[in-house]
Amino acid sequence: MAATLCVKLLPKQGWLPLTQSVRHGSKAVTRHRKPVHILRQKLLAVTKYIPPTRVVPPGAYPSKPKEDNALMLLMKREVKKVFQDYKMIAAAQNNASNAEDMMTLKNRLHKHGITVKFFPNQVMRSFLKDSIYCNMAPLFIGPTVLIVSKEPKAREMLVALRSSPQMTLLGACIENTLLSADGVVSYSKMPSMTVVQGQLVSGLTMLTSYTASMLQRHPAHLSALLQQYVKQQSPDSSTEGAPKAEEAT
Amino acid sequence: MFSFVKAAVGGLTGICKAPGHQQGPLYNHLKVLAAGFKTYEIPPDYSDVVLPEKPKLKFMNKVPNLKRARKEMKKLRDIQGQAKAANAFTTGQYAIVAMGGGYLHWGHIEMMRLTVNRKMDSRTTFARWRINAPYKPITRKGLGQRMGGGKGAIDHYVTPVRYGRFIVEVGGKVELGEVEHILTEVAKKLPFPAKVMSRESLAALQKKQADMEQNNQNPWTFKMIAQGNMLGIRKAISPFDLHNHGRFTGKFHLPGRV
Repeated sequence: MAATLCVKLLPKQGWLPLTQSVRHGSKAVTRHRKPVHILRQKLLAVTKYIPPTRVVPPGAYPSKPKEDNALMLLMKREVKKVFQDYKMIAAAQNNASNAEDMMTLKNRLHKHGITVKFFPNQVMRSFLKDSIYCNMAPLFIGPTVLIVSKEPKAREMLVALRSSPQMTLLGACIENTLLSADGVVSYSKMPSMTVVQGQLVSGLTMLTSYTASMLQRHPAHLSALLQQYVKQQSPDSSTEGAPKAEEAT
Repeated sequence: MFSFVKAAVGGLTGICKAPGHQQGPLYNHLKVLAAGFKTYEIPPDYSDVVLPEKPKLKFMNKVPNLKRARKEMKKLRDIQGQAKAANAFTTGQYAIVAMGGGYLHWGHIEMMRLTVNRKMDSRTTFARWRINAPYKPITRKGLGQRMGGGKGAIDHYVTPVRYGRFIVEVGGKVELGEVEHILTEVAKKLPFPAKVMSRESLAALQKKQADMEQNNQNPWTFKMIAQGNMLGIRKAISPFDLHNHGRFTGKFHLPGRV
Protein backbone atom coordinates (compact mmCIF):
# COMPACT_ATOMS: atom_id res chain seq x y z
CA MET A 1 0.00 0.00 0.00
CA ALA A 2 2.67 2.46 1.04
CA ALA A 3 4.80 1.44 -1.90
CA THR A 4 2.02 2.02 -4.35
CA LEU A 5 1.29 5.41 -2.82
CA CYS A 6 4.93 6.37 -3.08
CA VAL A 7 5.00 5.32 -6.67
CA LYS A 8 1.92 7.33 -7.38
CA LEU A 9 3.05 10.48 -5.58
CA LEU A 10 6.72 10.46 -6.37
CA PRO A 11 7.55 9.94 -9.99
CA LYS A 12 11.32 9.72 -9.27
CA GLN A 13 12.43 6.16 -9.53
CA GLY A 14 15.01 4.75 -7.17
CA TRP A 15 14.52 7.54 -4.59
CA LEU A 16 14.57 6.58 -0.97
CA PRO A 17 12.97 8.90 1.56
CA LEU A 18 15.58 10.51 3.81
CA THR A 19 13.43 10.23 6.87
CA GLN A 20 11.17 7.36 7.61
CA SER A 21 8.46 7.76 10.15
CA VAL A 22 8.40 4.94 12.66
CA ARG A 23 5.25 4.25 14.57
CA HIS A 24 5.78 3.42 18.20
CA GLY A 25 2.19 2.89 19.05
CA SER A 26 0.27 5.02 21.50
CA LYS A 27 1.66 4.79 24.97
CA ALA A 28 -0.93 4.88 27.65
CA VAL A 29 1.38 6.16 30.31
CA THR A 30 -0.36 8.39 32.77
CA ARG A 31 2.36 8.65 35.38
CA HIS A 32 4.00 11.66 33.85
CA ARG A 33 2.99 14.39 31.48
CA LYS A 34 3.27 13.63 27.83
CA PRO A 35 5.73 15.78 25.91
CA VAL A 36 3.76 18.64 24.44
CA HIS A 37 3.69 19.24 20.71
CA ILE A 38 5.60 22.35 19.72
CA LEU A 39 2.55 23.94 18.11
CA ARG A 40 0.50 23.24 21.22
CA GLN A 41 3.26 24.73 23.34
CA LYS A 42 3.15 27.86 21.21
CA LEU A 43 -0.61 27.95 21.41
CA LEU A 44 -0.49 27.64 25.20
CA ALA A 45 2.10 30.40 25.37
CA VAL A 46 0.05 32.71 23.13
CA THR A 47 -3.19 32.18 25.00
CA LYS A 48 -1.85 32.75 28.51
CA TYR A 49 -4.05 34.57 30.94
CA ILE A 50 -3.22 38.26 31.15
CA PRO A 51 -4.61 39.89 34.28
CA PRO A 52 -6.17 43.33 34.03
CA THR A 53 -3.91 46.22 34.93
CA ARG A 54 -3.91 46.90 38.62
CA VAL A 55 -6.22 49.60 39.80
CA VAL A 56 -4.43 52.43 41.61
CA PRO A 57 -5.12 51.88 45.31
CA PRO A 58 -7.02 54.70 47.04
CA GLY A 59 -4.72 57.14 48.76
CA ALA A 60 -1.71 56.44 46.53
CA TYR A 61 -1.96 59.88 44.99
CA PRO A 62 -2.97 63.07 46.79
CA SER A 63 -6.60 63.80 46.21
CA LYS A 64 -7.56 66.69 43.99
CA PRO A 65 -8.78 69.80 45.84
CA LYS A 66 -12.51 69.60 45.99
CA GLU A 67 -14.68 72.28 44.48
CA ASP A 68 -16.35 74.40 47.13
CA ASN A 69 -20.10 74.15 47.17
CA ALA A 70 -22.36 77.16 46.92
CA LEU A 71 -22.95 77.46 50.66
CA MET A 72 -19.25 77.51 51.38
CA LEU A 73 -18.69 80.18 48.75
CA LEU A 74 -21.44 82.27 50.31
CA MET A 75 -20.00 81.94 53.79
CA LYS A 76 -16.55 82.73 52.45
CA ARG A 77 -17.90 85.92 50.97
CA GLU A 78 -19.42 86.82 54.33
CA VAL A 79 -16.11 86.21 56.09
CA LYS A 80 -14.40 88.42 53.56
CA LYS A 81 -16.94 91.14 54.24
CA VAL A 82 -16.38 90.79 57.99
CA PHE A 83 -12.64 91.21 57.59
CA GLN A 84 -13.21 94.27 55.38
CA ASP A 85 -15.79 96.03 57.54
CA TYR A 86 -14.73 95.36 61.09
CA LYS A 87 -11.66 96.79 62.74
CA MET A 88 -11.45 94.37 65.63
CA ILE A 89 -11.74 90.65 64.92
CA ALA A 90 -11.03 88.41 67.88
CA ALA A 91 -11.03 84.61 67.87
CA ALA A 92 -12.25 82.94 71.05
CA GLN A 93 -12.57 79.28 71.94
CA ASN A 94 -16.03 78.19 72.90
CA ASN A 95 -15.72 75.60 75.68
CA ALA A 96 -19.13 73.99 75.99
CA SER A 97 -21.06 77.14 76.71
CA ASN A 98 -24.77 76.59 76.65
CA ALA A 99 -27.36 78.77 74.98
CA GLU A 100 -27.99 80.81 78.10
CA ASP A 101 -24.33 81.71 78.61
CA MET A 102 -24.03 82.62 74.99
CA MET A 103 -27.13 84.76 75.20
CA THR A 104 -25.83 86.72 78.20
CA LEU A 105 -22.44 87.15 76.59
CA LYS A 106 -24.01 88.39 73.37
CA ASN A 107 -26.14 90.77 75.34
CA ARG A 108 -23.17 92.17 77.24
CA LEU A 109 -21.15 92.57 74.08
CA HIS A 110 -24.05 94.10 72.20
CA LYS A 111 -24.15 97.02 74.66
CA HIS A 112 -20.79 98.10 73.23
CA GLY A 113 -21.71 97.35 69.65
CA ILE A 114 -19.70 94.13 69.54
CA THR A 115 -21.22 91.09 67.84
CA VAL A 116 -20.48 87.38 67.99
CA LYS A 117 -20.27 85.52 64.70
CA PHE A 118 -20.04 81.82 63.96
CA PHE A 119 -18.27 80.45 60.92
CA PRO A 120 -17.20 76.88 60.21
CA ASN A 121 -13.48 76.38 60.65
CA GLN A 122 -13.23 74.93 57.17
CA VAL A 123 -14.56 78.14 55.69
CA MET A 124 -12.31 80.27 57.89
CA ARG A 125 -9.22 78.31 56.97
CA SER A 126 -9.98 78.31 53.28
CA PHE A 127 -10.49 82.08 53.47
CA LEU A 128 -7.38 82.73 55.56
CA LYS A 129 -5.18 80.51 53.41
CA ASP A 130 -4.99 83.00 50.58
CA SER A 131 -5.47 86.26 52.42
CA ILE A 132 -3.07 88.60 54.23
CA TYR A 133 -4.38 87.30 57.56
CA CYS A 134 -2.98 83.83 56.91
CA ASN A 135 -1.06 83.87 60.22
CA MET A 136 -4.39 83.71 62.02
CA ALA A 137 -5.15 80.28 60.61
CA PRO A 138 -3.70 78.27 63.55
CA LEU A 139 -6.27 79.85 65.86
CA PHE A 140 -9.16 78.14 64.12
CA ILE A 141 -9.06 74.66 65.60
CA GLY A 142 -11.95 73.21 67.52
CA PRO A 143 -15.08 75.18 68.45
CA THR A 144 -14.22 78.77 67.70
CA VAL A 145 -16.27 81.94 67.55
CA LEU A 146 -15.49 85.34 66.10
CA ILE A 147 -16.06 88.45 68.20
CA VAL A 148 -16.14 91.45 65.91
CA SER A 149 -16.77 95.15 66.27
CA LYS A 150 -16.46 98.18 64.07
CA GLU A 151 -14.50 100.11 66.69
CA PRO A 152 -11.44 98.63 68.40
CA LYS A 153 -13.03 98.13 71.82
CA ALA A 154 -10.61 95.68 73.37
CA ARG A 155 -11.21 96.73 76.96
CA GLU A 156 -14.97 96.26 76.79
CA MET A 157 -14.55 92.92 75.12
CA LEU A 158 -12.12 91.73 77.78
CA VAL A 159 -14.46 92.84 80.54
CA ALA A 160 -17.34 90.96 78.97
CA LEU A 161 -15.22 87.86 78.40
CA ARG A 162 -13.91 87.86 81.96
CA SER A 163 -17.42 87.30 83.28
CA SER A 164 -17.97 84.27 81.05
CA PRO A 165 -15.41 81.56 81.84
CA GLN A 166 -16.52 79.34 78.95
CA MET A 167 -14.97 81.61 76.38
CA THR A 168 -11.20 81.79 76.08
CA LEU A 169 -9.64 84.52 74.01
CA LEU A 170 -7.12 83.09 71.59
CA GLY A 171 -5.98 86.09 69.62
CA ALA A 172 -7.22 89.05 67.71
CA CYS A 173 -6.65 91.16 64.68
CA ILE A 174 -7.14 94.80 65.71
CA GLU A 175 -6.70 97.46 63.04
CA ASN A 176 -4.84 95.04 60.79
CA THR A 177 -2.42 94.05 63.56
CA LEU A 178 -2.30 90.49 64.75
CA LEU A 179 -2.24 90.28 68.53
CA SER A 180 -2.01 87.38 70.92
CA ALA A 181 -4.24 87.15 74.01
CA ASP A 182 -1.59 88.95 76.11
CA GLY A 183 -1.16 91.45 73.35
CA VAL A 184 -4.86 92.25 73.48
CA VAL A 185 -4.62 92.79 77.24
CA SER A 186 -1.70 95.18 76.88
CA TYR A 187 -3.47 96.89 73.99
CA SER A 188 -6.51 97.47 76.19
CA LYS A 189 -4.33 99.07 78.87
CA MET A 190 -3.04 101.63 76.41
CA PRO A 191 -4.75 105.04 76.44
CA SER A 192 -6.98 105.85 73.53
CA MET A 193 -5.71 107.38 70.33
CA THR A 194 -7.12 110.86 70.95
CA VAL A 195 -5.47 111.03 74.37
CA VAL A 196 -2.09 110.05 72.94
CA GLN A 197 -2.45 112.52 70.13
CA GLY A 198 -3.37 115.25 72.65
CA GLN A 199 -0.33 114.42 74.72
CA LEU A 200 1.90 114.60 71.66
CA VAL A 201 0.43 117.91 70.56
CA SER A 202 0.68 119.35 74.05
CA GLY A 203 4.31 118.24 74.33
CA LEU A 204 5.19 119.88 71.05
CA THR A 205 3.35 123.12 71.88
CA MET A 206 4.96 123.24 75.33
CA LEU A 207 8.46 123.32 73.82
CA THR A 208 7.61 126.11 71.39
CA SER A 209 5.83 128.11 74.07
CA TYR A 210 8.85 127.73 76.35
CA THR A 211 11.16 129.05 73.60
CA ALA A 212 8.77 131.93 72.96
CA SER A 213 8.61 132.81 76.65
CA MET A 214 12.42 132.74 76.81
CA LEU A 215 12.61 135.12 73.89
CA GLN A 216 10.10 137.46 75.51
CA ARG A 217 12.29 137.95 78.64
CA HIS A 218 14.49 141.04 79.20
CA PRO A 219 17.48 141.31 76.80
CA ALA A 220 19.89 141.76 79.75
CA HIS A 221 18.82 138.38 81.11
CA LEU A 222 19.39 136.85 77.69
CA SER A 223 22.86 138.38 77.36
CA ALA A 224 23.77 137.14 80.85
CA LEU A 225 22.70 133.64 79.84
CA LEU A 226 24.72 133.79 76.65
CA GLN A 227 27.75 134.99 78.57
CA GLN A 228 27.35 132.11 80.95
CA TYR A 229 27.11 129.74 77.99
CA VAL A 230 30.34 131.10 76.46
CA LYS A 231 32.03 130.71 79.82
CA GLN A 232 30.95 127.11 80.04
CA GLN A 233 32.22 126.36 76.55
CA SER A 234 35.74 127.74 77.28
CA PRO A 235 37.93 124.84 78.57
CA ASP A 236 39.73 126.51 81.57
CA SER A 237 36.60 127.66 83.34
CA SER A 238 34.44 124.62 82.74
CA THR A 239 34.77 123.29 86.31
CA GLU A 240 33.74 126.56 87.96
CA GLY A 241 31.17 127.45 85.32
CA ALA A 242 29.11 124.31 85.46
CA PRO A 243 27.45 124.80 88.86
CA LYS A 244 26.78 128.41 88.03
CA ALA A 245 25.17 127.52 84.81
CA GLU A 246 22.90 125.09 86.60
CA GLU A 247 21.93 127.79 89.02
CA ALA A 248 21.24 130.17 86.15
CA THR A 249 18.92 127.78 84.35
CA MET B 1 0.76 27.21 107.27
CA PHE B 2 3.33 29.86 108.08
CA SER B 3 4.70 29.77 104.58
CA PHE B 4 1.20 30.18 103.16
CA VAL B 5 0.66 33.33 105.24
CA LYS B 6 4.04 34.60 104.13
CA ALA B 7 3.12 33.96 100.54
CA ALA B 8 -0.16 35.78 100.97
CA VAL B 9 1.58 38.79 102.56
CA GLY B 10 4.18 38.68 99.83
CA GLY B 11 1.42 38.60 97.27
CA LEU B 12 -0.20 41.63 98.81
CA THR B 13 3.04 43.59 98.85
CA GLY B 14 3.72 42.48 95.31
CA ILE B 15 0.36 43.74 94.19
CA CYS B 16 0.78 47.01 96.05
CA LYS B 17 4.19 47.69 94.54
CA ALA B 18 4.93 47.91 90.88
CA PRO B 19 5.08 44.44 89.34
CA GLY B 20 8.28 43.01 88.01
CA HIS B 21 10.70 44.86 90.28
CA GLN B 22 11.20 42.20 92.94
CA GLN B 23 12.69 38.85 92.16
CA GLY B 24 12.61 35.94 94.57
CA PRO B 25 10.99 32.61 95.30
CA LEU B 26 7.89 34.28 96.65
CA TYR B 27 7.36 36.45 93.61
CA ASN B 28 8.01 33.93 90.91
CA HIS B 29 4.50 32.53 90.89
CA LEU B 30 2.83 35.90 91.21
CA LYS B 31 0.75 37.15 88.36
CA VAL B 32 -0.80 40.55 88.23
CA LEU B 33 -4.26 40.02 86.92
CA ALA B 34 -5.57 42.78 84.76
CA ALA B 35 -9.29 43.08 84.41
CA GLY B 36 -10.68 43.60 80.94
CA PHE B 37 -13.49 42.79 78.61
CA LYS B 38 -13.32 40.15 75.98
CA THR B 39 -15.75 40.01 73.14
CA TYR B 40 -16.48 36.46 72.15
CA GLU B 41 -17.57 35.57 68.67
CA ILE B 42 -21.08 34.31 68.33
CA PRO B 43 -20.86 30.54 67.73
CA PRO B 44 -22.32 29.31 64.46
CA ASP B 45 -25.93 28.19 64.46
CA TYR B 46 -26.26 24.44 63.99
CA SER B 47 -29.97 24.22 64.69
CA ASP B 48 -30.78 23.10 61.14
CA VAL B 49 -28.10 20.41 61.00
CA VAL B 50 -29.53 16.90 61.07
CA LEU B 51 -27.10 14.13 61.81
CA PRO B 52 -27.77 10.88 59.91
CA GLU B 53 -28.31 7.66 61.80
CA LYS B 54 -24.99 6.20 60.74
CA PRO B 55 -22.50 9.04 60.73
CA LYS B 56 -19.43 7.00 59.84
CA LEU B 57 -18.01 6.05 56.47
CA LYS B 58 -19.32 2.74 55.20
CA PHE B 59 -17.17 -0.19 54.30
CA MET B 60 -16.57 -0.57 50.58
CA ASN B 61 -16.27 -3.83 48.73
CA LYS B 62 -12.88 -4.65 47.35
CA VAL B 63 -14.40 -6.46 44.36
CA PRO B 64 -17.75 -5.62 42.78
CA ASN B 65 -20.38 -8.29 42.96
CA LEU B 66 -20.70 -9.18 39.31
CA LYS B 67 -22.05 -12.34 37.74
CA ARG B 68 -19.28 -12.44 35.24
CA ALA B 69 -16.22 -10.23 35.48
CA ARG B 70 -15.33 -8.73 32.11
CA LYS B 71 -11.96 -7.41 31.20
CA GLU B 72 -12.05 -3.82 30.08
CA MET B 73 -9.82 -1.53 28.13
CA LYS B 74 -7.78 1.15 29.83
CA LYS B 75 -10.31 3.88 29.03
CA LEU B 76 -8.09 6.75 30.13
CA ARG B 77 -10.91 9.14 29.42
CA ASP B 78 -12.35 8.45 32.82
CA ILE B 79 -9.51 10.20 34.60
CA GLN B 80 -8.99 12.98 32.08
CA GLY B 81 -10.55 16.38 32.30
CA GLN B 82 -13.08 17.70 34.74
CA ALA B 83 -15.48 15.70 36.87
CA LYS B 84 -19.07 15.85 35.74
CA ALA B 85 -20.52 14.09 38.74
CA ALA B 86 -20.07 14.63 42.47
CA ASN B 87 -18.47 18.04 42.01
CA ALA B 88 -20.76 19.98 44.37
CA PHE B 89 -21.70 19.76 48.01
CA THR B 90 -24.82 17.84 49.00
CA THR B 91 -25.29 17.61 52.77
CA GLY B 92 -21.88 18.28 54.22
CA GLN B 93 -19.83 21.44 54.59
CA TYR B 94 -16.27 20.27 54.06
CA ALA B 95 -14.79 17.86 51.58
CA ILE B 96 -11.65 16.39 50.09
CA VAL B 97 -11.57 17.51 46.49
CA ALA B 98 -9.35 15.94 43.82
CA MET B 99 -7.08 18.48 42.09
CA GLY B 100 -6.07 16.01 39.38
CA GLY B 101 -7.12 12.71 37.93
CA GLY B 102 -6.12 9.30 39.22
CA TYR B 103 -7.15 5.90 40.40
CA LEU B 104 -8.16 5.06 43.93
CA HIS B 105 -7.40 1.55 45.07
CA TRP B 106 -9.27 -0.32 47.72
CA GLY B 107 -6.29 0.28 50.04
CA HIS B 108 -6.65 4.06 49.73
CA ILE B 109 -10.33 3.78 50.48
CA GLU B 110 -9.69 1.66 53.55
CA MET B 111 -7.03 4.09 54.75
CA MET B 112 -9.46 7.00 54.42
CA ARG B 113 -12.28 5.13 56.07
CA LEU B 114 -10.22 4.00 59.05
CA THR B 115 -8.53 7.36 59.63
CA VAL B 116 -11.65 9.46 59.31
CA ASN B 117 -13.82 7.12 61.36
CA ARG B 118 -11.24 6.85 64.12
CA LYS B 119 -10.45 10.54 64.41
CA MET B 120 -13.76 12.26 63.91
CA ASP B 121 -16.25 12.82 66.69
CA SER B 122 -19.25 10.77 65.56
CA ARG B 123 -21.62 12.53 67.96
CA THR B 124 -21.23 15.86 66.20
CA THR B 125 -19.80 14.95 62.82
CA PHE B 126 -20.79 12.75 59.93
CA ALA B 127 -18.88 11.66 56.87
CA ARG B 128 -20.12 10.50 53.49
CA TRP B 129 -18.48 8.83 50.54
CA ARG B 130 -18.77 10.71 47.28
CA ILE B 131 -17.04 7.98 45.27
CA ASN B 132 -18.20 4.56 44.26
CA ALA B 133 -16.62 1.33 45.32
CA PRO B 134 -13.84 0.12 42.98
CA TYR B 135 -15.49 -0.98 39.75
CA LYS B 136 -12.90 -0.64 37.01
CA PRO B 137 -10.97 -3.88 36.45
CA ILE B 138 -7.21 -3.69 35.99
CA THR B 139 -5.58 -6.69 34.38
CA ARG B 140 -2.09 -8.01 34.97
CA LYS B 141 -0.19 -10.92 33.73
CA GLY B 142 0.91 -13.26 36.42
CA LEU B 143 4.48 -13.30 37.73
CA GLY B 144 6.93 -15.31 35.66
CA GLN B 145 4.53 -15.62 32.80
CA ARG B 146 5.84 -15.30 29.28
CA MET B 147 4.61 -12.49 27.10
CA GLY B 148 1.85 -13.21 24.68
CA GLY B 149 -1.12 -15.40 25.06
CA GLY B 150 -3.63 -12.61 25.19
CA LYS B 151 -4.78 -10.20 27.84
CA GLY B 152 -4.00 -11.03 31.43
CA ALA B 153 -6.41 -11.86 34.18
CA ILE B 154 -8.18 -9.23 36.29
CA ASP B 155 -5.84 -8.33 39.12
CA HIS B 156 -7.77 -5.72 41.08
CA TYR B 157 -10.40 -3.05 40.77
CA VAL B 158 -9.98 0.71 41.04
CA THR B 159 -12.14 3.81 41.20
CA PRO B 160 -11.29 6.43 38.58
CA VAL B 161 -11.36 10.01 39.84
CA ARG B 162 -11.30 13.18 37.78
CA TYR B 163 -10.26 16.72 38.62
CA GLY B 164 -12.79 18.43 40.88
CA ARG B 165 -14.39 15.26 42.17
CA PHE B 166 -15.31 15.08 45.84
CA ILE B 167 -13.92 12.06 47.63
CA VAL B 168 -15.26 12.38 51.16
CA GLU B 169 -17.76 14.87 52.42
CA VAL B 170 -17.86 15.85 56.09
CA GLY B 171 -20.53 17.80 57.87
CA GLY B 172 -22.38 18.18 61.12
CA LYS B 173 -22.02 20.51 64.06
CA VAL B 174 -18.35 21.25 63.45
CA GLU B 175 -16.21 24.03 62.14
CA LEU B 176 -13.50 23.58 59.57
CA GLY B 177 -10.73 23.90 62.14
CA GLU B 178 -11.96 20.81 63.96
CA VAL B 179 -11.87 18.45 60.99
CA GLU B 180 -9.28 20.06 58.75
CA HIS B 181 -6.31 18.23 60.25
CA ILE B 182 -7.99 14.85 59.73
CA LEU B 183 -8.89 15.61 56.15
CA THR B 184 -5.49 17.07 55.21
CA GLU B 185 -3.75 14.08 56.72
CA VAL B 186 -5.87 11.85 54.48
CA ALA B 187 -5.68 14.10 51.44
CA LYS B 188 -1.92 14.10 51.22
CA LYS B 189 -1.82 10.29 51.08
CA LEU B 190 -4.02 10.07 48.01
CA PRO B 191 -2.50 9.13 44.61
CA PHE B 192 -3.43 12.53 43.11
CA PRO B 193 -3.21 16.11 44.39
CA ALA B 194 -6.15 16.69 46.69
CA LYS B 195 -7.30 19.61 48.80
CA VAL B 196 -9.61 20.15 51.73
CA MET B 197 -12.35 22.59 50.82
CA SER B 198 -15.33 24.12 52.47
CA ARG B 199 -18.40 25.44 50.73
CA GLU B 200 -16.98 28.97 50.86
CA SER B 201 -13.54 28.10 49.55
CA LEU B 202 -15.01 26.10 46.68
CA ALA B 203 -17.27 29.01 45.77
CA ALA B 204 -14.27 31.34 45.98
CA LEU B 205 -12.27 29.08 43.68
CA GLN B 206 -15.08 28.94 41.14
CA LYS B 207 -15.57 32.67 41.36
CA LYS B 208 -11.86 33.27 40.82
CA GLN B 209 -11.94 31.12 37.69
CA ALA B 210 -15.02 32.92 36.41
CA ASP B 211 -13.41 36.30 37.11
CA MET B 212 -10.30 35.26 35.26
CA GLU B 213 -12.38 34.28 32.26
CA GLN B 214 -14.27 37.54 32.51
CA ASN B 215 -11.28 39.83 32.93
CA ASN B 216 -8.78 38.17 30.64
CA GLN B 217 -6.91 40.91 28.78
CA ASN B 218 -5.56 38.48 26.19
CA PRO B 219 -7.65 38.79 23.05
CA TRP B 220 -6.56 35.33 21.91
CA THR B 221 -8.16 32.51 23.83
CA PHE B 222 -7.46 28.81 23.49
CA LYS B 223 -11.13 28.13 22.95
CA MET B 224 -11.43 30.51 20.04
CA ILE B 225 -8.28 29.30 18.32
CA ALA B 226 -8.99 25.60 18.86
CA GLN B 227 -12.63 25.72 17.86
CA GLY B 228 -11.92 27.94 14.89
CA ASN B 229 -9.02 25.68 13.83
CA MET B 230 -6.83 28.71 13.21
CA LEU B 231 -3.75 27.93 11.07
CA GLY B 232 -4.82 24.30 11.14
CA ILE B 233 -3.94 23.96 14.81
CA ARG B 234 -6.32 21.01 15.18
CA LYS B 235 -3.55 18.93 13.67
CA ALA B 236 -1.47 19.39 16.83
CA ILE B 237 -4.15 19.39 19.53
CA SER B 238 -6.44 16.61 20.55
CA PRO B 239 -10.23 16.60 20.53
CA PHE B 240 -9.89 16.49 24.30
CA ASP B 241 -8.52 20.06 24.12
CA LEU B 242 -11.66 21.23 22.32
CA HIS B 243 -13.66 20.64 25.48
CA ASN B 244 -11.09 21.59 28.10
CA HIS B 245 -9.54 24.60 26.36
CA GLY B 246 -5.98 23.71 27.27
CA ARG B 247 -6.64 23.56 30.99
CA PHE B 248 -5.64 19.89 31.20
CA THR B 249 -2.93 17.69 29.84
CA GLY B 250 -4.23 14.18 30.32
CA LYS B 251 -5.12 13.73 33.95
CA PHE B 252 -3.08 16.76 35.02
CA HIS B 253 -4.71 20.11 35.61
CA LEU B 254 -2.80 23.21 34.55
CA PRO B 255 -3.55 25.88 37.12
CA GLY B 256 -3.84 29.55 36.18
CA ARG B 257 -5.17 28.94 32.69
CA VAL B 258 -8.41 30.23 31.30
